[in-house]
Amino acid sequence: MTDPQAFREQVRAWCAEHVPTDWRATQADTSETEFAAFQQDWFATLHAAGYAVPHWPAEWGGGMSMADQVVLYSELAAHDAPRLVLAFVGIHHAASTLLVAGTDEQRRRHLPAILDGEIWVQGFSEPEAGSDLASLRTTARRDGDEFVVNGQKLWASGGAHADWCLLLARTDPDAPKRRGISYFLMDMRSPGVTVRPIRNALGDSHFCEVFLNDVRIPEANLIGAENAGWQVAQATLGAERGMTMLELAERLGNAGLRWLAAACPPGDAVAADRLAGFEIEIAGLRGLCADLVERSHAGTAGAADASIVKLYYSELLQRMTDFGAELGGVAAHTVLTKPQSSGWESGSWVLDFIGSWEWTIPGGASEIQRTIIAERGLGLPREPGVA
Amino acid sequence: MSDFSELHDELRSVAAEVLGARIGTAVPGELLAELGWTGMEVDDDLGGAGASFRETAVLCEQLGRAVAGGSFLGSAVLGVGLLNMLRPGELRDGLLTRIAEGAATVAVTAGTEASDPGRIAFDGALLSGRVGLVLDAGAAEALLVPVLGPDDRAAVAVLARDTAGLNVTARQVLDETRCLADVSVDAVRVPDGALLSYREGVEAASIGDRALVAVACDSLGVAAAMLDATVDYVSMRQQFGRPIGSFQAVKHACADLAVQIAVSRQLVGAAVAAVADGDPSAHRAAIMAKAYASEAAVAVAGKAMQLHGGIGYTWEADVHRYLKRATLNRALFGTPAQLRRELTSER
Repeated sequence: MTDPQAFREQVRAWCAEHVPTDWRATQADTSETEFAAFQQDWFATLHAAGYAVPHWPAEWGGGMSMADQVVLYSELAAHDAPRLVLAFVGIHHAASTLLVAGTDEQRRRHLPAILDGEIWVQGFSEPEAGSDLASLRTTARRDGDEFVVNGQKLWASGGAHADWCLLLARTDPDAPKRRGISYFLMDMRSPGVTVRPIRNALGDSHFCEVFLNDVRIPEANLIGAENAGWQVAQATLGAERGMTMLELAERLGNAGLRWLAAACPPGDAVAADRLAGFEIEIAGLRGLCADLVERSHAGTAGAADASIVKLYYSELLQRMTDFGAELGGVAAHTVLTKPQSSGWESGSWVLDFIGSWEWTIPGGASEIQRTIIAERGLGLPREPGVA
Repeated sequence: MSDFSELHDELRSVAAEVLGARIGTAVPGELLAELGWTGMEVDDDLGGAGASFRETAVLCEQLGRAVAGGSFLGSAVLGVGLLNMLRPGELRDGLLTRIAEGAATVAVTAGTEASDPGRIAFDGALLSGRVGLVLDAGAAEALLVPVLGPDDRAAVAVLARDTAGLNVTARQVLDETRCLADVSVDAVRVPDGALLSYREGVEAASIGDRALVAVACDSLGVAAAMLDATVDYVSMRQQFGRPIGSFQAVKHACADLAVQIAVSRQLVGAAVAAVADGDPSAHRAAIMAKAYASEAAVAVAGKAMQLHGGIGYTWEADVHRYLKRATLNRALFGTPAQLRRELTSER
């Protein structure tokens, strides 16, 4: 157990030395390759200090106390550090899936590789399976000690750079829809995998479609039991939400609030009032995140707690960036780029505002989160006709 | 009245047909002229249709519905509107005829950024100053520069695009359907006969109301198109074995949008009539319409993106074009907060 103040000083000193001061300038309007290289470098820098995967167990290279992680993320945000974008799925989602449901061999194969820069992508959504994820149609047919996969995945973020994919596919077409799904670790370099970028609302292409045509996955890459993929996904989705949301809340409370304050015209009482309102909401959000972190760790988190945090963060982000876009006036529309490796609190307000839908739509849209809060949190009866 | 509503229905249906095939693209000037839109408010004897701002407003809404680009707002709405406020004469009449024919476009150096509109000063002989982010100035043949002379008399200086000392610098904006440019003049002498006076009884500031209401109409069109597209999409898109529009979370959201659009339509309709009639209440009505409708359109386009889900966030779907246009419209000529403040201070 470190002295929290001493640790804070240590992180501050590290940030002063290692956070590149010019990254917002150099990351504006950069190429995908440059962006990927920058991300890999930043990941290695964080990792060398023990700051890349503090949430992992000590035996795999983490082991930082919850209290210190909170300090770490608040200081990184306060020093306006770049975000880990490319590594995100690997260090959070893939790692928690491996730690919760993986075999020792799978962990040994992938956890150290993630630390060496292995990039992961999530292959869950499909054209006909968005909010209704359980209706996914990608099939995995057993063939000896392999599975043969066919289908199409959508919204694979960072798909163009990915080495591995967390894949959900249907292994039993006759079972009820949530009982016939299996969870796989898929090598993106397997024959039959085709990645096609999707141009998004801002003209960027970090989301991808992934086409799977007779892709062969060895049985050893099945994670959890065959046909138990849905349960594995439920157990691991959101396992990391507390700390990842805490990081984002800190970023919104630091850079986000700072840019907004700078955009508020001096002496404008109405704008000042709204800004103060956001400051209060951020304090509330920080509390929610810290609470979720603690309760997830203690195993006492409620069934809807992660949904409350995700819903609140994403809609607060949208409202704050909307306010920034309005405050910025016509001039805000002449800002055509936003630094890569930033979040949606970059101060390029109109882009941030449009980008905020990347938070209110994916990962369970706001409508779905509200249903979860009402049904699993409050115990309200389910909507009629929904299986 | 019924004559007008028939005329408006016809305009609307022609516009919908022409623009429906060109969503998100610039309407060429020749086409705008051929359809008679650039000359909508130009007098009959100058080659126009002699119609009123009511008809222009119908077109503004339709252009918003199609997120159409082109110089209509800057030239045919603001330029013609300003020229019509001036005393007839060779220069003015010639410009109006050329605009109606599609041979020229003009731009009014009215700053779109309310917090920093810029100013071009006139000392009786020379013009100097800068106005940022002027609509459709980049391609305009002539710039109409509203000025206040040394005797405090309002007038409009007409400057040809190639005037020495006049600089027009295009500014790219996220909304690819709008063209803005910074205009600066450095000790430019107003050519003989190019300083035009307003007609008797005309309020020079009323061009601002026209701008507000035109943008409000555009925003109303943006919102209406987004609600239609969303209703179509959620009626068709199936999840959980049924159309997502059958879920109350989705259908109530759509209902809320319909209510906001209905309110926008009332405020915009009242403002169009007030501006067309030169009513003394026009300024208040214009502020109300622009403040409400431009804000509502952002909310509607944003909810449209949300209810379209991931597909709505792609470049291929047009939702982003509407959201960008709605957000820019909200800022043009004053944000809702700035306009509401003006309303409060007028009380």
